[in-house]
Amino acid sequence: MSSHCDACRDGSIERPPGEIVIALVGNPNVGKSTLFNALTGIGVFTAHYPGTTREVFVGTSRVGDRSVGVIDLPGTYALGGTGEDAWVTRRALEDLQPDVVVVVLDPTTLARNLYLALEALDLGMRVVLAVNLIDEAAREGVSVDVAALGVTLDVHAVSTIATSGVGVADLAQAAFAAVREPTPRLRTYGRDLEALLHPLVVAWQGNGAPDEHTARARALAMIGGSESAFGLANDTVRAEARRVQTAINSHFAEEPATHLARERHGSAGMLADAVTTRTEHVRRLLPRDLWSLTTKPVTGVPLVALAIAAVFAFLFFVGDFLATGFSAIWAAVMSPAIGTLVTAVAGDGVVSRVLLWGFDAGIEASLAIGLPYILTFYFLLGLLEDTGYLNSLAFLTDRLMHRLGLHGRAIVPLVAAAGCNVPALVAAGQLPTKRERFIASTLVLFVPCSARTAVILGAVGHYIGLEAALIVLGIVFLVWGVLALVLQRILPGSSEGLVMEMFGFRRPSVRRVAAKAWEQFREFLLVAMPIVIAGSLVLGGLYETGWLSYLSGPLRPFIESWLGLPAVAGLTLVVGMLRKELSLQLLVALSAATAGFAAADLTGIMSEADLIVYVLVNALALPCISSVAVFWRRHGVWRTISVVGASIAIALLVGGILARVLPLVGIA
Amino acid sequence: MPTAAMDEYLESIYKLAEKGAVRPGQLAEIMGVSGPTVTATLKRLESSGLIDRPDGGVALTLAGRQAALDIVRRHRLAERFLVDVLKLPWAEVHDEACQLEHALSPRVQQALEAFMDNPAVCPHGHPIPSADGVVAPQGGGPLCECAIGDAVEVLRIDDEDGALLAYLATLGLFPGTPVRVCDVAPFKGPLLVEVGDARYALGRDIARKIVVAGEAGGSPGRSGGRS
Repeated sequence: MSSHCDACRDGSIERPPGEIVIALVGNPNVGKSTLFNALTGIGVFTAHYPGTTREVFVGTSRVGDRSVGVIDLPGTYALGGTGEDAWVTRRALEDLQPDVVVVVLDPTTLARNLYLALEALDLGMRVVLAVNLIDEAAREGVSVDVAALGVTLDVHAVSTIATSGVGVADLAQAAFAAVREPTPRLRTYGRDLEALLHPLVVAWQGNGAPDEHTARARALAMIGGSESAFGLANDTVRAEARRVQTAINSHFAEEPATHLARERHGSAGMLADAVTTRTEHVRRLLPRDLWSLTTKPVTGVPLVALAIAAVFAFLFFVGDFLATGFSAIWAAVMSPAIGTLVTAVAGDGVVSRVLLWGFDAGIEASLAIGLPYILTFYFLLGLLEDTGYLNSLAFLTDRLMHRLGLHGRAIVPLVAAAGCNVPALVAAGQLPTKRERFIASTLVLFVPCSARTAVILGAVGHYIGLEAALIVLGIVFLVWGVLALVLQRILPGSSEGLVMEMFGFRRPSVRRVAAKAWEQFREFLLVAMPIVIAGSLVLGGLYETGWLSYLSGPLRPFIESWLGLPAVAGLTLVVGMLRKELSLQLLVALSAATAGFAAADLTGIMSEADLIVYVLVNALALPCISSVAVFWRRHGVWRTISVVGASIAIALLVGGILARVLPLVGIA
Repeated sequence: MPTAAMDEYLESIYKLAEKGAVRPGQLAEIMGVSGPTVTATLKRLESSGLIDRPDGGVALTLAGRQAALDIVRRHRLAERFLVDVLKLPWAEVHDEACQLEHALSPRVQQALEAFMDNPAVCPHGHPIPSADGVVAPQGGGPLCECAIGDAVEVLRIDDEDGALLAYLATLGLFPGTPVRVCDVAPFKGPLLVEVGDARYALGRDIARKIVVAGEAGGSPGRSGGRS
């Protein structure tokens, strides 16, 4: 699978055009993306390196009559770290060679934030500091002497409020000014460390480093464990580096990289203390104190239950309501228009009926998922994420999700799946590791969505009773649980330990959340709609030409002999791929036609046991085309085929067993 | 009476035992001698009743432990003296202390201790055993056993490949860092800890590798210490 969305380019991330190019780096959740949005207008591209999920945003800003290329890098705590965020940030900085690195800082955790700034300075980068979120910090009684910070570090420092655009123009001006100036003066660490480091700096100066700045930057990078710095070194420098590392190790009795981190944090902490003023007497409750209620188990667990119920209810009821409304409007307005158009072009026959399957039903099917479920759900999810609540949720549910080989955050897609699998798959795609993304996405496909639940309620609930419907749902979840345990066992690797920063409450930016939701919606339409239309055309062709019945032959052994269902039911299960609730509608229509019943009463052609087996197979087998399309885009063709194949096998297995067990317990 | 070489062995065995089971191979590596030399010296130590050889490993006997603590005490006192009083740089004091430690009689040790105001730890942060062989508990306990409200300090991070140590170090979480436990998720879930101004959720498996000790009630450092 090589194609992603049209705006994504794998592997090669291009330097944006502009008189100068700046890169935004910063810890997660410091408002870096908001600052990026405030700087750039249209023409924003996203890209990622193969095998990574962290996106790099690239855009261009106009400052007066000058242009600035802007790169937004993933939020990270360090440049020299081992995580994916650090790797992508480091790699992009090396590849794109920005003229200025803007380190975005959160004043409330300035000490930790400055670590990254010191690291960038140590690497010899031309740094401009943006002290962001000063409004929120002020609310917490924290103020930072930005000018003093800049003077101490010999760099330009600007205070910004990205959400309202304050200081954004100053930031661009500072970047222009920084480019014309020499690189900041060198800073030093403790005397012992400097003394031990010195031989390595000297070694670099004699072996390839053009100046003292570069020599020192590379020496520090090597001590910090940077592989690329080792790659640049010749044997003399490497030997010296090993000597220096050993010396540092024995002198401080700890790993050189750890010791460097310790000294850097020490410097950052002292610097932060010197420029930060905290007002002790804050009368009212801080947002942070209120927010801590979301992580206290006593108050947090009920909130989690509430949030999960809200997500579920939102997708199940609001989403369903919107989808129904949308379908009604579509039937009233678009269907007749498309019908007229198709008839005008293709006449009135088989061809036009097939075209209607694709361009009427197909487009409607993708929009009926895209608009009510993806667009609205993503807005809700974006709000939860922007406020920082998803982290609180993940914290409290981590233990539960760990049993499934997942992290706390995975609870959101799994719950969302009960509404609609498609947005749930998109949410699952944001989990940190590949293994987790696959486990979560696969489990999502096996959660009965509202359409499948509607079929269970509409068939079994309506004709047999609510109890029977609940039992069917119970069986589906039992199968789901077994699958979760099996996946956890058979997939190599284990879930990595959780280390997640917990943020206080942040006021969400509606504009940003809306933009993100729109992006997801657009991406879904681009990926899924062509597949859904093509699939609908094929299904429509088979159906309208009557060739669908030829499929009955090959299906017969499975459907009739193994499951004990009428052959026609098998066909409806296949057509159900377009939209899962379509299978039941079609079954009613087909059974009326086949068996000659005037009334659409399924009990005429199917026994109670048949109905139960039918809805169960419908719920377990063959996810709908839209979700298959999204799964495919994220996990590739082979994993998609395996999972869809597995869904059929599991459905046949469970359905077949049920068909034999039900008569034994008195249901026939 | 143990010789100076046997002293060095006892000291090394003691230090290794602080971290876990001791194998002869580790000793050969640390002492910079061959395997057979180690085996020969270990035989002598064993016949002197200072060590046992359970399952081919090396363990101090009660007498061996007393002797080792005595050497460790002299070594760490000497280091303290060299750094605090003579102002020698850290990097050089270990080797100097190895020379000096053999010259310290119990009386000189006592005088040194009083002169330096009874230091608790050596310049590297390791505890100095008392004259009667008592070591302040430094064992600590895993962070995951802490309760809400505990204020503890990171002693070490038990991490084989160093990747976790490196990652946590970028967050400012390394040995010596004070940590406060704010919340613990239900069903033995992750811990929410405060480090400086920032707060992190740490999964159980991570928290298990972070060894801490603390003053607050309910901290694991007190009861779990080495005897």
